[in-house]
Amino acid sequence: MNKEISDHNLGLYLHWPFCESKCGYCDFYSVPLKGRDVAPLLDAFAIDLRSRVAECDKQIDTIFWGGGTPTTLEDDNLSIALGHIQNATSNHPIREFTIEANPATVDERKAATLVDLGVTRVSLGAQSFHQNELSALERLHTPRDVPEAIRIIRAAGITHYNIDLIFGIGGQTLASWQESLARAVELEPPHLACYGLTYEHGTSLTKQLKLGHIEACDEQLEADMFLACKDYLERCGYEQYELSNYAKPGHQCLHNLIYWKNGSYQAVGPSAAGCLGNIRFKNVSDINEYIRLINSNGHAIADREIIGETERALEGLMMRMRLIDGLDLADFLRCTGINLIENCRNAIARLTDSELIVCDESKLRMTRRGLLMADTVIRELASELDPPSGMSLNVVASRPIGDA
Amino acid sequence: MTDLTHIRNFAIVAHIDHGKSTLADRLMEHAGAVSKRELKAQMLDDMDLEREMGITIKANRCSMKYKFEGEEYLLNLLDTPGHVDFHYEVSRALTACEGVLLLVDAAQGVQAQTVANAYLAVEAATEIIPVINKIDLPGAHPEDCALELEHVLGIPADEAIFTSAKTGQGIDELFAAIIKRMPPPAPDPEDKLRALVYDAKNDVHRGVITHVRLFGGTMKRGDKMRFVAAGSERIVTEVGKFTPKPGAVDSLSAGDVGYVLASIKTIADVNIGDTITLAHNPTTRPLPGYQAPQQMVFCDFFPGPGTETPDLRDAFEKLWLNDSSFTYETTSSDALGIGFRCGFLGLLHMKIIQERLEREGDVNIVQTAPTVTYEVELKDGTVMHIESPSELPDLSVVADIREPICKASVIVPAAYIGDVLKISLERRGTHSKTEYLSPTRVMLNFEFPLGEIIYDYYDRLKSATKGYGTADYDVTGFRSDNLVKLDILVNAMPVDALSVIVHRDKAANRGRRLIQRLKKEISRHQFEIPLQAAIGGKIIARETIAAMRKDVTAKCYGGDISRKRKLLEKQKEGKKRMKQVGMVAIPQGAFMSILDPGD
Repeated sequence: MNKEISDHNLGLYLHWPFCESKCGYCDFYSVPLKGRDVAPLLDAFAIDLRSRVAECDKQIDTIFWGGGTPTTLEDDNLSIALGHIQNATSNHPIREFTIEANPATVDERKAATLVDLGVTRVSLGAQSFHQNELSALERLHTPRDVPEAIRIIRAAGITHYNIDLIFGIGGQTLASWQESLARAVELEPPHLACYGLTYEHGTSLTKQLKLGHIEACDEQLEADMFLACKDYLERCGYEQYELSNYAKPGHQCLHNLIYWKNGSYQAVGPSAAGCLGNIRFKNVSDINEYIRLINSNGHAIADREIIGETERALEGLMMRMRLIDGLDLADFLRCTGINLIENCRNAIARLTDSELIVCDESKLRMTRRGLLMADTVIRELASELDPPSGMSLNVVASRPIGDA
Repeated sequence: MTDLTHIRNFAIVAHIDHGKSTLADRLMEHAGAVSKRELKAQMLDDMDLEREMGITIKANRCSMKYKFEGEEYLLNLLDTPGHVDFHYEVSRALTACEGVLLLVDAAQGVQAQTVANAYLAVEAATEIIPVINKIDLPGAHPEDCALELEHVLGIPADEAIFTSAKTGQGIDELFAAIIKRMPPPAPDPEDKLRALVYDAKNDVHRGVITHVRLFGGTMKRGDKMRFVAAGSERIVTEVGKFTPKPGAVDSLSAGDVGYVLASIKTIADVNIGDTITLAHNPTTRPLPGYQAPQQMVFCDFFPGPGTETPDLRDAFEKLWLNDSSFTYETTSSDALGIGFRCGFLGLLHMKIIQERLEREGDVNIVQTAPTVTYEVELKDGTVMHIESPSELPDLSVVADIREPICKASVIVPAAYIGDVLKISLERRGTHSKTEYLSPTRVMLNFEFPLGEIIYDYYDRLKSATKGYGTADYDVTGFRSDNLVKLDILVNAMPVDALSVIVHRDKAANRGRRLIQRLKKEISRHQFEIPLQAAIGGKIIARETIAAMRKDVTAKCYGGDISRKRKLLEKQKEGKKRMKQVGMVAIPQGAFMSILDPGD
């Protein structure tokens, strides 16, 4: 699957920038909908979509429509948007088409539209089953909305669905976290994403934290929550396949695997980021500017970056180590020309001694303790990662001191 | 060939930032040595680092022709560094001159290095022309400056020339004074070649360029020359002058300043201060030469991540071909591995050498905190000098530890005397004399242990005096005191590079502060890290860096990759300045935290 993904397949990421309201922890580009006319954006979106897909020289086989919240679109507009997507990708063998949804934004009609127009997977932002925690996160829905949304999704015939949960919320206890986990598992999702709350720059929660209005979760408690989650979900038959992602066999998210395996993906919509071979690009993060650029230039790319070999190797290390299965050494050598065992010899020895990683002949993977310290592990490895150079080791005698 | 009476050899000396290089530029421009178009700011500062930092590191030179009262004069100018670390460059330059321009900033007045440089000029028996510069500045008070000079150095105030190197005001008068007041080179009765080697540079294509000042005789291409002290002989392949670019001339004669090429491969083959003469007609009176620069500050350079010891050695060897003002020799540390013990003239010099090594040699350096030389007497009577606390022998065999002592003169506005006394006494200074330069400015003399002032005394002085205070020091010898070695243990492992020699009365306090600083510098690891300060095996202070329980980025998807990679690159760059000691990564800043003597 690895080679298949990195070499031959292409993902398509679509970004819909509207939400009902901005959540306290979210740092994605999104703006509150507040009765805005979405038609001009839908038109630009369609143009962007057609030209991006036409540009692809490979087959697209996964689509991920995130945001923002795509399901905030009214049913008729949702149909139009999905129609554009379906038309644009009709010649591509789509294996997975995920849409992000919030619990209070799905109804029977929309669910039927999703299924009719090709969506195969729904990712539901449940986050917590406790009202006080949802309020702390500045979420609009209530705990009751989640089972209802899942019922609707299942009734429409969607069997692949994911539930997002957040731990490490200020005031959250280990018990309340375990209860949220249990409530989520009762809904039989084939996939769960459990994120430690991150205070991203510029978000409402970060501002409150800096002002001292809220308190961050204790680090040890957060570590306990991480491991409690892993143990519980594994007992329930889920496999942790990425630091924050769990799936029943056969239900891993194919699209997200592209990111973790450094594959290529096209990007459509304001603020969407793409990567094609060694080129990374990002669309402008402003709806009006996006519309203007699409209408005048046919694209809205604001940043473009060519990834050199060194950067590529660093990204490879950074992303692949997130996978629980580990980093395949032979594959890494093939993709980057770097023999990691040789190149990062000292770091690997230190990390192995500290029991943060294990290294066998074929793979480098994190231990249970290592998962909690993944950033340390990646930093340590990265600090030694260097493209091989012809370094000579001959020692020359020291020069005498003084000049007079 | 210009006859001797029409040659003037002079240097510009001044306190740092008083406008030497700008004045040199203006003189060259007036004499037509460079056109306005060619004149990028600070012509003579040709090292990138000099231009970037706005300071002169190496003495530089230029020959120019100037018409005065209908006759053409050859003026050889040497621009010298102003920072205290480079005194030796100034004294070298002065031996090649008959006169100096003692430059004073009209807004700042006489400063510590003005005085120090004036003394050097007096010692070298050169004619001093005081120049009060920057008279265009709003805060300029040139007459007061001239009076200060008269008061401190006994140079009559009415001899001072007022200039603005920026606007060109006073430059013609200055040329007139150089020609009328400075003596021409003295004729040499013997008339045998005597050329003083005052500097040498390595050129990749042409070999070593030896800078010379001729005191007698002539030399030309094809001559067989001899280095008197070294005894080696070479055939001269080219002689030339700097105008300011080097250009070949037919011959150099007595009074001239210029250069010699003689197929010399490395700078180690040229002794600065040596005399060049002719092999077939040698002088019997070689020139007195120079004392070698005295390295005062020592620290260790270790290879950082991505750099191996041989790379660092190569970088040292390459730089040493061009600049022999520092010393280096292999050293090894239990904690940090193989590195190099280096000797510098001062902290600025250390910083410059480190930057040049990294830039020109493409290496990463982890540097330990600078220390001074200590004199240690053993019980068997042996006296040794140690350049690092880790070299201190076991205390059971040590009879006495002596620290270097220096005499310092500090010039400050009178209003700050109290503050300056406070910071000076804290650094174990003893105050010996107060002298008023004017009703508002005062020169204070102190005696200090060198180790107490070398790190941050300047900075403290500057902030205590709102930037007006200046200081200069001279090392006078070693003195015994109650000194002990303070050891630092990180994660139960002694880190020799963090050891310091301190006065016993200050040891406990210093140890505590040191590990508190370390606690801030070393990031949390996945395990608890004890930090301890110890004297002779006895723990006197302890701190703990808590373990990190969780360090994991929750979300990393397509849109995050670029940003996260850049963060990782930044962290990777930061790691280049870290040294792995056992399981703990110690950042560069931690090694420097030794320097903080606190309040």
